[in-house]
Amino acid sequence: MPLATARNRSVFVTRFVGVRFVAVLFVSVLFVSVLRGAGSDAAETDSGDREPQGTEIPEAEARAAVLETMLRDTVVPFLAEHCYDCHGADAQEAELDLRPYSTVESLSTFHQSWEEVAHRIEAGEMPPPEAGRPDEGERDAVVAAINRARRTLALGTAGDPGPVITRRLSHAEYDYTIRDLTGVDLRPAREFPIDPANEAGFDNTGLSLTLSPSLMQKYLAAARGVSEHLVLKPGGFDFAEHPVVTDTDRDKYAVRRIVDFYLRQPTDLADYFHAAWVIRVTPDVDGAGEERDGSVDARLRQIATERGLSPAYLDRVWQMLRSPSPTLGPLARVREDWHGLPDDSSHDSEARRGCEAIRDYVLVVRQRLEPNIPNLKLEGGHLGSQQFVIWKNDQYAAHRRKFVPETINSIEPGSDEAERFPDLLPPDDPDEPEEPGQPQKSNQLEEPDQLEEPDQLEEPGQVAEFHESLRQFCDLFPDAFYISERGRDYVKKKREGEEKGRLLSAGFHSMMGYYRDDGPLYEMILDDAGREEIDRLWRELDFITAAPLRQYTGFVWFERTDSSYMRDEVFNFARAEDKSVTSEAKIRRLAKEYRAKAVRNGGSDEVLAAIDKFFERINRQIRSVERAWRDSESVHLDALLEFADAAYRRPLTDQEREELLSFYRSLREDDGLSHEEAMQDSIVSILISPWFFYRADLAPTEDRRRPLTDHELANRLSYFLWSSMPDAELRRDADAGRLRQPEVLVAHARRMLASEKSEALALEFAGNWLDIRRFDQLNSVDRERYPSFTDSLRQAMFEEPLRFFLDVVRRDGSALEFLDADHTFVNRELAVHYGFDASEVDREGWHRVDGAARHRGGLVPMAAFQTANSAGLRTSPVKRGYWVARRLLGERIPPPPPDVPELPEDEQELGPMTLAEALAKHREHASCAACHDRFDSLGLALEQFDPIGRWRTEDSGGHAIDARAEFPGGTRGEGVQGLRDYLLAHRRDDFVDHLCRQLLAYGLGRTLILSDEPLVDRMIQRLETEEYRFGSLVESIVTSSQFLEKRGRTAP
Amino acid sequence: MKPKLTSRRSQSSSGEIDEAQRSSLSRRTLLRGTGVALGLPWLESLPVWGGPAGADQDHPRRFAALFMACGVHREHWWARGAGDGMELGNCLKPMEPLKAKFNLLNGLFNENATGVGIHPGQTGNILSGAALQKGSELRGGISVDQVLANQLADVTVQPSLVLGCEQPITGYHETNFSMAYSSHISWQNATSPVPMEVYPSLAFDSLFDNRGSRRNQSVLDRVKEHAASLSRQTSASDRAKLEEYLNSVREVEKRVVRMRDEADKAAGRSADSGKPLFAMERPENGLPEDIRDHMRLMCDIVAIAFQTDKTRVATLLLCRDISGLFYPFLGVRRTHHSASHYDLEEDFEKISTYYVSQMAYLAKRLDEMPEGDGTVLDNSCLLFLNNMWSGSKHDSSKVPAFSVGGLGGTIETGRVLDYSDRGDDQRRLCSLYLSILDRMGVASDSFGDADRPLDGF
Repeated sequence: MPLATARNRSVFVTRFVGVRFVAVLFVSVLFVSVLRGAGSDAAETDSGDREPQGTEIPEAEARAAVLETMLRDTVVPFLAEHCYDCHGADAQEAELDLRPYSTVESLSTFHQSWEEVAHRIEAGEMPPPEAGRPDEGERDAVVAAINRARRTLALGTAGDPGPVITRRLSHAEYDYTIRDLTGVDLRPAREFPIDPANEAGFDNTGLSLTLSPSLMQKYLAAARGVSEHLVLKPGGFDFAEHPVVTDTDRDKYAVRRIVDFYLRQPTDLADYFHAAWVIRVTPDVDGAGEERDGSVDARLRQIATERGLSPAYLDRVWQMLRSPSPTLGPLARVREDWHGLPDDSSHDSEARRGCEAIRDYVLVVRQRLEPNIPNLKLEGGHLGSQQFVIWKNDQYAAHRRKFVPETINSIEPGSDEAERFPDLLPPDDPDEPEEPGQPQKSNQLEEPDQLEEPDQLEEPGQVAEFHESLRQFCDLFPDAFYISERGRDYVKKKREGEEKGRLLSAGFHSMMGYYRDDGPLYEMILDDAGREEIDRLWRELDFITAAPLRQYTGFVWFERTDSSYMRDEVFNFARAEDKSVTSEAKIRRLAKEYRAKAVRNGGSDEVLAAIDKFFERINRQIRSVERAWRDSESVHLDALLEFADAAYRRPLTDQEREELLSFYRSLREDDGLSHEEAMQDSIVSILISPWFFYRADLAPTEDRRRPLTDHELANRLSYFLWSSMPDAELRRDADAGRLRQPEVLVAHARRMLASEKSEALALEFAGNWLDIRRFDQLNSVDRERYPSFTDSLRQAMFEEPLRFFLDVVRRDGSALEFLDADHTFVNRELAVHYGFDASEVDREGWHRVDGAARHRGGLVPMAAFQTANSAGLRTSPVKRGYWVARRLLGERIPPPPPDVPELPEDEQELGPMTLAEALAKHREHASCAACHDRFDSLGLALEQFDPIGRWRTEDSGGHAIDARAEFPGGTRGEGVQGLRDYLLAHRRDDFVDHLCRQLLAYGLGRTLILSDEPLVDRMIQRLETEEYRFGSLVESIVTSSQFLEKRGRTAP
Repeated sequence: MKPKLTSRRSQSSSGEIDEAQRSSLSRRTLLRGTGVALGLPWLESLPVWGGPAGADQDHPRRFAALFMACGVHREHWWARGAGDGMELGNCLKPMEPLKAKFNLLNGLFNENATGVGIHPGQTGNILSGAALQKGSELRGGISVDQVLANQLADVTVQPSLVLGCEQPITGYHETNFSMAYSSHISWQNATSPVPMEVYPSLAFDSLFDNRGSRRNQSVLDRVKEHAASLSRQTSASDRAKLEEYLNSVREVEKRVVRMRDEADKAAGRSADSGKPLFAMERPENGLPEDIRDHMRLMCDIVAIAFQTDKTRVATLLLCRDISGLFYPFLGVRRTHHSASHYDLEEDFEKISTYYVSQMAYLAKRLDEMPEGDGTVLDNSCLLFLNNMWSGSKHDSSKVPAFSVGGLGGTIETGRVLDYSDRGDDQRRLCSLYLSILDRMGVASDSFGDADRPLDGF
């Protein structure tokens, strides 16, 4: 595409060089030197912006005198003659009074208006004809003088970091920072009143971000709220997604994590059979055909990794499938079926179905082989007593991979079961007696409470092989890899019965208690890391939920209510309400009394052993949790210091560390808070400290201008690109003192733009730049007239420009795509709204649509802007045009006078006129025309979009759409395409200039000042040389001295 | 944000509690030394205690719910007549001295507590009327006391008192409802019960230590120093910004301290008037050995909290559903829940009467506290609730209930109101809550399963 057309304003260098009369008016040695100094600027180094420090003061004074003279002799007389009538003492049209525009100081103070004044004079728009046109020479001289004065002044202080005062975080920044600090997206500021925006339209400057007592109260409450999400753990602390205040909150948090872990594990047998099949039918890597141990091993590992399976378990399954024995029983059947799968790797889905059938077979047979474990009973006791339920759980857990021969005793030839489970029917072996064989060594139960009769006889032959087959079958295919929910077993209900959803429950009646039963998963599926994780999660469960203490309290209560076992007076000392009931002394005392009664009631040895074991175990668990609580306190304090360090976004001083610890101690000792409360309050104090929720990095700490420290720079960068705190990588380079190296800094900027978190830049920068930051709450659409405008369509409209923006940012695409792109992004709803064809409508989620010749592509036609800039029941070419002029082209248009005539609010009330005709009438008033000429036509070209941004050919009053327009400067065009062509051909520089200014103002967190002009020029030049790459803008900003330095306490 | 009454960690390690309590003794010793007569902050505009009577509506209105589980002895749960001439069934006899301020409310209906199986599903919504969810994730609804607490949060030191005499448990009942529903009647939202304080000493501390406000004050004190040190380093314009911060912090601090100061001023005023009204020493650490002491102390705490306007909302779970409390002093051998399965036997009559006597005790306490022309009781509504009509049948088709107190003249008392024969929509328990919310100044169109107030209440 052709680059750069005539830039009609604001690019300083170009304009200045084109001016005549330079030497004639001011041939002064001093001034020439000023020019020479300035001439070397442009896109060179940052330090090139700055004057040599030593001679600054006298030179500046002299320069000011020259400029003063220039203004007094050339500019002020012109203004007085041509402008003061309308912009002076008697009238201030467009709210502008030009009389103060007479001093050098005013060039800085009113620098934007000065620019506008020069621009309007140069373009011949001002003074208006009725004010008496100045001749061209006079006009050029004045413009040249203004520009020269501004330029000279700008270059004199170029690179000035500018006035950036410390401020609180904006609500958006607060929410993002809390998210990154706690790891959970709590958005505590969601309900806060909306932050006001500054002049540039962004809410990230000190001037607009104020604090009041009632807002402070909200921050305090928000910090408290965050602290209620605190979860203390043995190795530190975390924050949960939900408040963690009550026992049930703690349960929810700790249980969910374990269940999620289980659900993530690859335990579907079909996946393993299928993976093994793939290995079988895929030619060996080296093509040798013959399997060699090494290569098979490698392929097992590879395919397991690819499919997220356990390599160890896949290996076991593989070995079994490839083994020649046993030849009997279900294992032989599994192997036979698997070998019966197709040999051709192209029959994948058939093989998959086959594998699922094998799995289903295994599950059914394996369930049939589950042992039946009887309840323990005690006279006067309850079947659901904890000690008995746990005993039974232990039995199940110990038998998950065990074959219990009794389970098949009832399967006899000819029986129904033999029919259903033919592979479980023992082989016909008439020579042998009925007795089952002596269990082999490896078949011994490890637990003493084994079920098998120990007096079985040696038995060779087929029956032995059959049993060995079953043993291997049960060993390889456990009856469950893990138990994630458990109902009451002792009541003999069907497992499939109603008691679902009791996650990790021990299966008590009414009492809480968890029971871990995941041996097969642990032994066969998990690798070391997985084992470590699940061990840790279970430890944390006890730690977080105090499960053993609560379980025991439940025991004491149950033994008096559902059970009457403890209603004797001798048990009265043990009360569930009494916290000391869980003390070692009271547990031992109860254990003794409980056992004594069991002995009196004739409890069996097994019963007594279960009782002893229960008390011994629960006491051990309680002591262990209490010890962990005690031991972790110092760990939590270390974590607290780390938390403060992260929250303050800089290293703590030794004094601060000590102060924080002593605050914690005073909360414990003076205020009598518990450890957890003191931790919470310490966190609250960190979160409302100015070190956290103020941008302390912005505050000057020295008298003179100085470079930012690495940590200050890290903050500045990350609040620019992420609206949030620095992440670990950024922090690491700041800690190492590397961040100020330009290549390191730029590398971070690129990384950060490409990351997920740059979403904040889309929302906070692009959202405000394009004036749709609150579109997701827009309520001005009449939903009766436009029923398709639902909340979710509104959300989709809102996201479209943000996603478009993010795509450019993350791809580092051209900034011109905002104007000229041929693509956009839609989801199903938006595709329907836009009338796209089925191929787009039918796709899930958001996707890019290329070749959007269907009137879409780039920002301009997006429904969000068309809708936000409509007037309810009709479109508003005025608002739309104004939006294009103001938001895309950066035009500063004064507010309308108070007495403007209104247009009807409904297109249907326009009568015989079209909106275009009505507007044309409107512009007949000269006072309106001065401004409306600049944007009405831009909006009229968008008449092809209805009030909610749909394509249309006639308006709702039945008029055919006329989208022809004559744009400022006289170019004619029609419709959105005509507008885009016009913008690209004639207004591209305005767009680029405005984008640069907006991004710079946002990045610096302040309004631009005159001395930023050279930087703006440099951004534009670099953008043009780097193919309009968006990232170049960011890189220009972050390597500028404005960004890298800050002013001193006393002076710039 | 609600100040928590307790935390698990402080409950579970007795060593910590003792330490905490020792350290805060000094503050309480002071209270004890002056005979503890804490006055009434809303009377600040009145010259002296007992001076010209203020308009009644100036007095705060309070709401308390006392809960007993597993039904009552229904044959002795009746009243006839009205006002002083009212005749009371055996179980309600303890209310005899206050029957003119009493309303029996028979036949109320909590629909979502029916048809869901027994116990937890019949209990967890007693104050919310919400449908409850089975399984491991709790889901119900905010309870009426917490709706009030949210509304009054900024008015009193404590938004609400949530007390219990029996420790909550959270296992699964056979109906697959969590036992948390059996343990908690106050719910701060659909998914979380309000932590319940079981230890009288800690409940007392939560009121008179101003724990919530003191905690915020400590935090605010600390950050003021941060702002000051930051401010010292910076320029004038930054200092102005930090001054804004400091001012805000100071203002918030003032608000935090204000209520406490007012309470102290009122205490002095009350002492000056020579009419110490109600004295309560801090309960001993640990749990009272005897459930009678336990319940009495909890009632005392509600009474003193209401009197001193520390809070205007309280719930007291006298016992949990499926309660394991036992009553040797009544000569009853079975525990509460077991006894309820024989609810027409004399034992359960004794138990029911005993629970009503707890309400009678609290009501009497409040009635001995003059306030304006009447008493604190006259400005309160105390509600006695039970989750079942019959414990042996697990029948929750009617909710045993009675109220005491006129709630600032908004409730006509001394009546027997029987809704048993009305249609379900005319006898909803939540309609009663709507009526109470309205009179507490928290008008609402609907609550729980009701969208109209209770006729005739």
